[in-house]
Amino acid sequence: MSTITRRSRLHRQEHLTALAFVALPVIGFLLFTLYPLLFSIYASFTNWNGLTAPVFSGLDNYVAMFKDPYFLEAMYNTFFLMIGIPIGLAISLALALAMNRKMRGSTFFRTVYYVPVISSIAAVAILWQWAFNGDFGLINQVLALVGIDGPNWLQDTATVKPALIIMAIWKGLGFSMLLYLAALQSVPRHLYEAAALDGAGAWQQFRHITVPMVRPVTFFLVVTSVIAGSQVFVEINIMTPTGGPEFSSATIVWYIWQKAFDNLQMGYASAMSIILGLMVFLITFIQFRLNRRNQFSID
Amino acid sequence: MMKSRSIVKTIAATAAAGLLLSGCSAAASNDDGEKSLTFMYRGGPDDKKAYEQAVSQFEQDNGVEVEMIQTTADQYSTKLKAAISGRQIPDVFYISPGEVQAYVKNGIIKDITEHVEGSANIDLENIWDYGVDSYRFDGELTGQGAIYALPKDVGPFSFGYNKTMFEEAGIPLPDPEKPYTMEEFVDVAKQLTKDTNDDGKLDQWGTGLNVMWNLPAFVWSNGGSWLNEDRTQVTIDTPEFTEALQWFADLQNEHKVTPSAGEAQTLDTYQRWMKGEIGFFPVGPWDLATYEDLPFEYDLIPYPVGATGETATYTGTLGIAVANSTEHPEEAAKLATYLSANEEAQQTLTDAGVQIPNLEDMAEEWAQDESTKPANKEEFLQIVREYGRPLPGDLTYNAEWYNEFFTNIQPVLDGEKTAEEYVKEAQPKMQQFLDSANQQAGIGG
Repeated sequence: MSTITRRSRLHRQEHLTALAFVALPVIGFLLFTLYPLLFSIYASFTNWNGLTAPVFSGLDNYVAMFKDPYFLEAMYNTFFLMIGIPIGLAISLALALAMNRKMRGSTFFRTVYYVPVISSIAAVAILWQWAFNGDFGLINQVLALVGIDGPNWLQDTATVKPALIIMAIWKGLGFSMLLYLAALQSVPRHLYEAAALDGAGAWQQFRHITVPMVRPVTFFLVVTSVIAGSQVFVEINIMTPTGGPEFSSATIVWYIWQKAFDNLQMGYASAMSIILGLMVFLITFIQFRLNRRNQFSID
Repeated sequence: MMKSRSIVKTIAATAAAGLLLSGCSAAASNDDGEKSLTFMYRGGPDDKKAYEQAVSQFEQDNGVEVEMIQTTADQYSTKLKAAISGRQIPDVFYISPGEVQAYVKNGIIKDITEHVEGSANIDLENIWDYGVDSYRFDGELTGQGAIYALPKDVGPFSFGYNKTMFEEAGIPLPDPEKPYTMEEFVDVAKQLTKDTNDDGKLDQWGTGLNVMWNLPAFVWSNGGSWLNEDRTQVTIDTPEFTEALQWFADLQNEHKVTPSAGEAQTLDTYQRWMKGEIGFFPVGPWDLATYEDLPFEYDLIPYPVGATGETATYTGTLGIAVANSTEHPEEAAKLATYLSANEEAQQTLTDAGVQIPNLEDMAEEWAQDESTKPANKEEFLQIVREYGRPLPGDLTYNAEWYNEFFTNIQPVLDGEKTAEEYVKEAQPKMQQFLDSANQQAGIGG
């Protein structure tokens, strides 16, 4: 009897310690994720200026949203900027293939490509703002060397989005490349050897072995880039603080921020965040469903 | 139905708990009974230095402890609003005139009129009226009524010219007492726009202006305005307004006296001015330290005048307000008045070349000082005293309607759209935003 009590007390103590460890992240989640999430859902149904108590207003915010041309334009801009995702993936896969060879200085290049990833986005944005400067910018100086009179990138509705896409690709390259590199190195060599024996050329090997084998990484990168891409804010706010010429670079998060903190429409901003959240959820869900069909395994 | 109600209850309970939690940490008294205040402000190292010095003096004199929260300029507004939403309102904080209505209507800031008028700590006579009036609000219009903040500074946005360039071109210097007309200005600007090294490309321009910061001066001087008297109507579709906007766009498209298209919004013209490639350029007090090192002589003049014959420009200001929620209103108001009117802090900031003094007698002395550039510093004082105006967006509950004006203006500046077409198009959209702002404020119809 007594041994059992002692043991259970011991257990209970262990149990409590374990609980204490578990509690920290759980409390963190409740306080900093679940509570804000629930509160913003509630706020989205209110007329709230962020200064005093919210007033319930039903679906007003949601109705207003679809009549708001800037909301639709910001959504359009956000998705337009995602054009950079497939381009970036293609370039980083190509780079990873190049880096995967045994050549002098490949470690150096891997490091160089990774530098933008660890740099602060604010610093990167300021850097590129200079690079895109119409008169003195690096980009136009290089273009001038080959006789092209470059545009004023960030001030022109036609070039501001491409400019932002170029920067985003540059910034994300190192990360995708590193993951691809890891995936490439885990592709079994014997697959290539077998294919070569069967007479498959370099392109066919790439197409039928490399691409399928790195597909999980591609999937991971697409999902995370789409989620990150729907939340682009800092570079927009730094490089085009007024949302660009004629609102052409305003992303949805930038617009939400502007509504919430500049125009005192916290409730409306919450409603837009909820819609954005739902869209991201839906897109991710579809991506997972599509990916399930593409799953395969080698035995 | 039951279900959704219980969810709402849960949310409400969670929200209440959150508010309680945040309330706890805002306890304002120390163990030893010393009163403590929080002061939130923004600014660079110069502001920090000046205010740390002033605040520590204040702490000693009043036996109050002040916790200072500093942010960068671009983060300030977001952080402050987040603090307010979370009911973590600092006792004393910076406020811009555009926020006064919203903060008063929502009970965030305190009416400090009684603490200011007749207070021994501050001599209102010696503080710029413009600075104090910017923070008055009577429930309908800003600019009159009770005082809700004191100026931290006033920022007259003056106009400068490159004196060296004029002398080299043999053009008579502009008269600071008699402003150019808009025609005369274009004339001189044309004379200054040229290719100085004969490489076939222009490398010197008459001017290079920014629509957001410089257009108001010309619109106002031409008798135009963004708003009617009681701030319920957007009035950009008047002939006076249209004419000034068209004239502004023509500087680039018609007269070609500014650097090429699209650059009005970049730093380019600022950099060019500093390299001595631009004849006329705006000058704010915050520029003075930087402009000390210009490779040429410059001086201040009034902006060119339009139909009214009266020069006009914009004058910014930043205020120091007291929170309604403070537990020590007396001390908080004292701190605000101290920061606004303290001679030492003002002197430090002025010496740093980032602002003109708040105190009129100190400003007079500063303007007379011939050891610093520019010679006509008196122009700054005249702006604050006589002809500086607030930006229209600062006079209303929020500035959404005013910002709308600039969102789609680029085609006008590029000459792809006439001013007349544009104001017709923009007016209804802006009116809608203004109506909604006034409605939020509970003002007008």
